Amino acid sequence: MKVSFNELQGLCRKAFTGIGFEDGDAADAADMVAWMQCHGFNAIDQLNRGLDFLLEEDPESLPQVIYQDGDLAVLDGHGQSVLRSISLATELGFAKARARGLSVVKIRRCHNRQLIMGYLSRLAGRGINITAFWRNVQVPLTEQVVGFRAGHPTPEVRIYSVRDVPEENEPNDGITLVMANHVELLPSLGADHDLDLLARHSESDLMACRERSLQEGIEVDDAIWARLKALAHRILVESSEASRGGAGAGVNDND
Amino acid sequence: MSNREWGLAALNLRCADDVMQLERLGSLHACRLSFVRSLVRQMGRQRWQVSRERFDLDENGYGTAIYRLQTPYGRYHGVMFAQALDDSRRSDRVIADAWDVTFGLIEGDVDASLLEQMAANVPLQEAGRQHPRVLVISRANKSLRNFAHFVKALAKGEQPDPEWLTRVGYLYRTTAVYGNGKFGIADFARLHENPDFRRPFSAQMAGVYLLRHFSIEQVEHLARCQAPQTACALATELRRYLGIGNSTGLGMAPFLISHPQLIAQWVNQRETALALAQRQLPSEEDRQRMLALTRRALQHLEETVTEDGEQTERNAETVASLPDVLAWLESAPLEDDLWAQLTAWSERTLSLEAQELINTLLIELYPERVDPLEEQMGVTENLDLQPDMPLIRLRQLIETHYSWALAHDYQSRAGSYWFWYRSVEKEEPRLGVRHEEAGAEKEMLIAIGPRVAHSHAAICEFLEDNPRAKVVDFLLARPRHKEIIRRVQTLVKDTYGDIHANLWHQDMKPMHLLRTKLAFFGASRFDPKSDRWVRITLFQGAPLVEELNAEPEDLGRFDDWSFPLQPQRENGAVGPAGLSPQAGPAAALCNHQPVQGQSP
Repeated sequence: MKVSFNELQGLCRKAFTGIGFEDGDAADAADMVAWMQCHGFNAIDQLNRGLDFLLEEDPESLPQVIYQDGDLAVLDGHGQSVLRSISLATELGFAKARARGLSVVKIRRCHNRQLIMGYLSRLAGRGINITAFWRNVQVPLTEQVVGFRAGHPTPEVRIYSVRDVPEENEPNDGITLVMANHVELLPSLGADHDLDLLARHSESDLMACRERSLQEGIEVDDAIWARLKALAHRILVESSEASRGGAGAGVNDND
Repeated sequence: MSNREWGLAALNLRCADDVMQLERLGSLHACRLSFVRSLVRQMGRQRWQVSRERFDLDENGYGTAIYRLQTPYGRYHGVMFAQALDDSRRSDRVIADAWDVTFGLIEGDVDASLLEQMAANVPLQEAGRQHPRVLVISRANKSLRNFAHFVKALAKGEQPDPEWLTRVGYLYRTTAVYGNGKFGIADFARLHENPDFRRPFSAQMAGVYLLRHFSIEQVEHLARCQAPQTACALATELRRYLGIGNSTGLGMAPFLISHPQLIAQWVNQRETALALAQRQLPSEEDRQRMLALTRRALQHLEETVTEDGEQTERNAETVASLPDVLAWLESAPLEDDLWAQLTAWSERTLSLEAQELINTLLIELYPERVDPLEEQMGVTENLDLQPDMPLIRLRQLIETHYSWALAHDYQSRAGSYWFWYRSVEKEEPRLGVRHEEAGAEKEMLIAIGPRVAHSHAAICEFLEDNPRAKVVDFLLARPRHKEIIRRVQTLVKDTYGDIHANLWHQDMKPMHLLRTKLAFFGASRFDPKSDRWVRITLFQGAPLVEELNAEPEDLGRFDDWSFPLQPQRENGAVGPAGLSPQAGPAAALCNHQPVQGQSP
């Protein structure tokens, strides 16, 4: 089925609230999913695959700062989805970059990492350059690099595989964020790199994709939509004769 | 004052503590920046044209009608579906599932396949999947008595009694007008580059304007079907006096809270308009215009009918005070700061509703100053965090700008009486009594005051141990406060964003929230049906499609339709009221004319 951006964002927000997200987290998570989906990244599928984990997550287990100084921070995401409260880890990087010119934030142990792009877009729109980096799978080893120019809410994205895998290839379920006030940090590949480019999404491609989504609507699987609706239903209050009076309407509109 | 000086001088806007009081917001009147007014101005200025593409109605008035709306930029179509509706199913509530008429405003042309898709989905409204080229969907119910009276009179070749439109100013009232992506229709973001409908709610208002035209054509069609030999067209003055109703409840309230930057923008433009008007040097012509507008508003309010006791009292109080306003205006010396003197006097002596009426009329005086503000009614909404702000600074900002929120007692029974929620019945917003009704654990976060007070207390506590903390340090420790903190950080720069009231309080009047939004839409004839349900009228007095199609040369006159007055009926003919803009030496009473084929 085709849905609008606003409809997708609105239903996701209600669904996240239904799951138990705090109001601000539900809004951020919905923004991230809708942003990703309308830019052509299949966020709904990612969300669907991660929904069971989200439902089981401990809502009190939030990202925790393990180390920080003026320029650097390391946080433990406790293995949770970036949809739940990861925005504050990125805001920490933003605050440090604003104060010191450049910051590095490492978020260890988190899932649904690609969805973080949706929140980084907001930070970039506030005037900071950002690079986000993470490795996806171990064999073949793939890396994703996302670069936002300050003031540009749409990134450049590269996904590539690394041919020459190092011996110490430990699983990596973290994200590294580099933010800078004045230095552009866009992904680029030199000819001498031992890499295979798997996907390249330019800023203009992604903007065109967004435009198409707004013009034509966004395709969403009916079953996933129904699942989100069921979660959103949790925030509604059962009706009764007494509650019908709570709307304040009259009983007869024939005039 | 030179143009340069005029441009550079700072405007003296009223403070948010005054403007954003719920009672004052609930006293607003439509003004020339209201969306119906700015839409009609744009339509006239840009020579928009409306034509009938299809009118397939049967002898009962049921069927499909399509109107083309042509602008210099694009082409749109209003597609109307009229159907039979059993009286037992006619409900203005969102929980209804059938209506007398449903319609959509669509961008571009309507071919057979699109019409088929719309016919299958638009009548279902929320239960349908709408096409992404549809900009607006809506539905409306008949005012049965007006409808029957109009058809009967016109069929006999007579004009309906204008008093019927004074009691209920429409043949149809909408019960929801959906835009911005609802049920699959186009996102508002898609219209950002569209010069026709990039202003908030302008597409919705255009859809309602086309429904008004349809209602006239439908009622004339029915009269013609009933008595082809005797039927006549509706007199021009009655057509103009016919608006479209709207029936609305608590559903308006969440919008005001969840779009604070947009609300701030609307209020800011209105306040800017008022401040600009107040500092104009008045001429004698301006004074005479203000007197004429006041007299017209007085008569309009005298004619306004509502069964609601409180609103009747408010109208009567305003009406009773306007002779004093007229006397003040006639006797005050024509000094440079006349308008500032007037508003200062009105604040000392008049009710809130009368004060805001004076403000609305002042804004009316200076279109060349005020009208450019209509392009500033939209805003990009984003409540962004400022994570590097010192937490002590945030505390100061809350204590400076949200002292209203800190002043309430949210622990008492009266102070926490209501909770807002959405029902499983089509998500209808409702109010419940806390500690008495089920569902408080699923409360909608409409009340900002208690949340700000809660966050303020947590900030104060955190600062005791962390006096040099930044906002992000606090939030990493207390993430639940993120939403309210970024709201506060944003709205201390847009101070008209939050309504200064405890929306939990037992004495809180939801009607004020509804009226706030409806006034910006351009509503008149506020007719409360309960403390949280109201009927209003849109476009009453507005120029007609045939007047628009005639490409008006005098755009000032075309735009002068606020506070419409009941037309006069004399010997079966209907003419303009004496104080209406249409009255004058040239405005003879319009005799009723036989219908000649299709109406214009």
